[in-house]
Amino acid sequence: MSDTAYLQQIAQSDYKYGFETDIEVEKAPPGLSEEVIHYISDRRGEPDWMREWRLRAFRYFMSLLERYEETYPRWAHLKYPDIDFQAISYYAAPQRKPRYKSLDEVDPKILETFRKLGIPLDEQMRLAGVAVDAVMDSVSVATTFKEELAKHGIIFCSMGEAIENYPELVKKYLGSVVPYTDNFFAALNSAVFSDGSFVYVPKGVRCPMELSTYFRINTAGTGQFERTLIIADEGSYVSYLEGCTAPMRDEHQLHAAVVELIALKDAEIKYSTVQNWYPGDAEGKGGVYNFVTKRGICLGENSKISWTQLETGSAITWKYPSVILKGDNSVGEFYSVAFTKGYQQADTGTKMIHLGRNTRSTIISKGIAAGYSNNSYRGLVKVARTADNARNFSQCDSMLLGDKCGAHTFPYLEIENPTAQVEHEATTSKIGEDQIFYCQQRGLSEETAIKLIVNGFCKEVLAQLPMEFAMEAQKLLAIELEGSVG
Amino acid sequence: MTTTLTATTTRPEDRFLHAFEAYAGEVLNGTSEHLATLRRKAIERFGVLGFPGRKSEAWKYTPIAKVLQHPYRIDPMPTVPALTEQTLAGYAIPELDAYRVVLVNGRFVPELSTTSDLPEGVVLTGLEAAARRHADLFEKYFAHYLDFENEPFLALNTAFARDGFFLYVPEGTVLERPVHVLHLIDTDEELFLQPRNVVVAAPGASLKLVTSGHSRTAQRTFTNGVTEVFAGQGAEVHQYDLRLEGEAASGIFSTQAYLEGGACYTNGTLTLGGALVRNNVSVRFDDQEGEAHLYGFFLGRGSMHIDNHTMIDHAVPNCVSNELYKGILDDEATGVFNGKVLVRPHAQQTNAYQSNKSIVLTREARMYSKPELEIYADDVRCTHGAAIGQLDEDGIFYLRTRGLTLQKARAMMLLAFARDVLDQITVEPLRAYLDELVAGRFGA
Repeated sequence: MSDTAYLQQIAQSDYKYGFETDIEVEKAPPGLSEEVIHYISDRRGEPDWMREWRLRAFRYFMSLLERYEETYPRWAHLKYPDIDFQAISYYAAPQRKPRYKSLDEVDPKILETFRKLGIPLDEQMRLAGVAVDAVMDSVSVATTFKEELAKHGIIFCSMGEAIENYPELVKKYLGSVVPYTDNFFAALNSAVFSDGSFVYVPKGVRCPMELSTYFRINTAGTGQFERTLIIADEGSYVSYLEGCTAPMRDEHQLHAAVVELIALKDAEIKYSTVQNWYPGDAEGKGGVYNFVTKRGICLGENSKISWTQLETGSAITWKYPSVILKGDNSVGEFYSVAFTKGYQQADTGTKMIHLGRNTRSTIISKGIAAGYSNNSYRGLVKVARTADNARNFSQCDSMLLGDKCGAHTFPYLEIENPTAQVEHEATTSKIGEDQIFYCQQRGLSEETAIKLIVNGFCKEVLAQLPMEFAMEAQKLLAIELEGSVG
Repeated sequence: MTTTLTATTTRPEDRFLHAFEAYAGEVLNGTSEHLATLRRKAIERFGVLGFPGRKSEAWKYTPIAKVLQHPYRIDPMPTVPALTEQTLAGYAIPELDAYRVVLVNGRFVPELSTTSDLPEGVVLTGLEAAARRHADLFEKYFAHYLDFENEPFLALNTAFARDGFFLYVPEGTVLERPVHVLHLIDTDEELFLQPRNVVVAAPGASLKLVTSGHSRTAQRTFTNGVTEVFAGQGAEVHQYDLRLEGEAASGIFSTQAYLEGGACYTNGTLTLGGALVRNNVSVRFDDQEGEAHLYGFFLGRGSMHIDNHTMIDHAVPNCVSNELYKGILDDEATGVFNGKVLVRPHAQQTNAYQSNKSIVLTREARMYSKPELEIYADDVRCTHGAAIGQLDEDGIFYLRTRGLTLQKARAMMLLAFARDVLDQITVEPLRAYLDELVAGRFGA
């Protein structure tokens, strides 16, 4: 078949963002112990309550680690060697004092990194009106547009600052959606989380701009344990963007982030992610292990939480952005494109837990697998007895670009209420030769045709991304497909 | 994992292991070396696998371990009470002109079976009789394609099963009349039954098989039944399995079909009775151009728990599978559907379709659906869908404007829902019988 060679090329194409920024880094010694928790707390100058919180999570995690054979989650459709949790360094921070008032103070090397990634921080600040809280490793190094946000009473800062300045809010909500007992990786994150973003949008405020954070994993041997907390108070709206790229390296990197979203009455949170961490080389060596717990709760009536994700990176992806629909009439959405190639493995999906009455959820998932990769959708729709008139629609489509890869669908539907209406549909297919033929007959090259078809396959999801991101996402997908520097 | 075992804790598995040792000699094997070796292997495998625990994904929604805690009586040769023709008539399917095989407590009863006038070469008898009189056929097919290595219940059945029925249709023979197998449970003991059935359609053969299960006792029983189906090249097998047992009868009913090239297999699993019922239907394509159609209908009432598990293994290219399971859950019933379509590498040109639709009628009823696709080949067309909902309000409204009572309108709608599956049944008297049975339950 004529397009086989091209698809093979796609599958083998190298990671285009493989470089490492050489910044001096301060690191914790490898291993996990009570001292390490104290070390992290000390380094970050945390109050006692936060230290206690970490220690509680740490003790719980250690109890899980003791019964590792029983407690380690192995249900996902993933194969990878066991992770040695004692070989990881749990804290890394850029050497320089990490709080800057303007870009001029930021290490020029970091700015250079962003430029290489095609994310011109300064350009975005001036032109797009995007406030960027750039996270290089674990400490926030640049925060912008703070004043503009402050005018509206919106808090957008690093988790560290929030613990210092807004302890009441943090105490109230941290761990309220994802408690440290939730799962293995959430327990680990709760014990050692390094930094992350904190957003609070006050009552009735519509956030005037997209809030954005770029994450980078940048130090050999350190995992990144982000902790993000977003609270949308009554009647407010916020759109949050998270984008990730990471430099090339040989050893596996563990990433276990936790994201918690809380939408109060009439509030809406839109959370968008582009994830493009290092997926490993052509032989499947190296690459990021991405074990993320993302969950939002529609706490109040008429609230809405929407997750959109474009997952193209990481060697292992284990990620299920979920919504607990607790408030009556609340809405949950999940839009996802997952692209895997080489030896990447993704097990991703969502959970929609309907508790309130008249709650609605929509799941649109598109999986594309190439090379030797495995791409699984795993999703749960649960309608509890209390959730009268709940409604769910799920559509999960998979596309296979080659005969060595796998695409899988594992939906779970748990219905305990007679008024529920739940639908799930899934298809698996390849790009039709007739489709390619048609495009070629119209004068398009085979490569352009494949790009066009894949783009169309994902359009429903990509259209959900905010404008600034949609462009980047389309570009990223095209680059991924191209297999050459674009 | 370390578990402290005290003298008082015995796993339910141990009871079976002990029972096996007690029966292992002549009771189970007669004089067959082949069988003795096989059973030994199976029980060892069972010992290793054990019953599925709480965390077993395949048993996520069916707490089987709890049911198996009950101290059922393990007896490979339970007594068979005498039954009259009159009693049997009560279980007949009207108008069905079929060869009749009667199994009581899993044992073949030749006096009650009508297996005369069979075409030449066709074997229809009890499993035990087949082992004695058709040893070559028996050894060729018994447990040959069965995956008891990984399935504890198949291993357990293989270790213990003594009787059941054996059907062999030779090459090119078309069995015009269907075979009706009547499974009756009639006992005053809390029996653990393990019938084993073998169905073979040699290349080019064709057969239709109807099995119906009934219980004539209020005693708690558990059936771990296994049916092996082999369809040779171009053979055609239609198999319909009716669960009409009473409220005290639980069981796991496993059917494993093995299809050679161009074979066509249809399975209809219709569950209208029982306490906890688990139906396992699995199909494996051995060669190209095979075709499998799986239909299921389940109607849960009272505190019934009905779990339908299907597995279609597309191991070779160019096969078609089509699956439709529909269910209605009333009262406090629980329904489970877990269907898996596996398309292995190189199984190109596979066409697989899977659909599960359920209606939950009450607040206490529940439905868990898990349709799965696991696909490793690219040139395939695989789709699945699942929907859980309720009756269409507009449809009911329309019927009511035509003067029908609410009850009648609902009954008609439910029957229409069920008919999507029932109408696929190719044995007409059986279809009519079920249609009436289901309609009766809804009051239509």
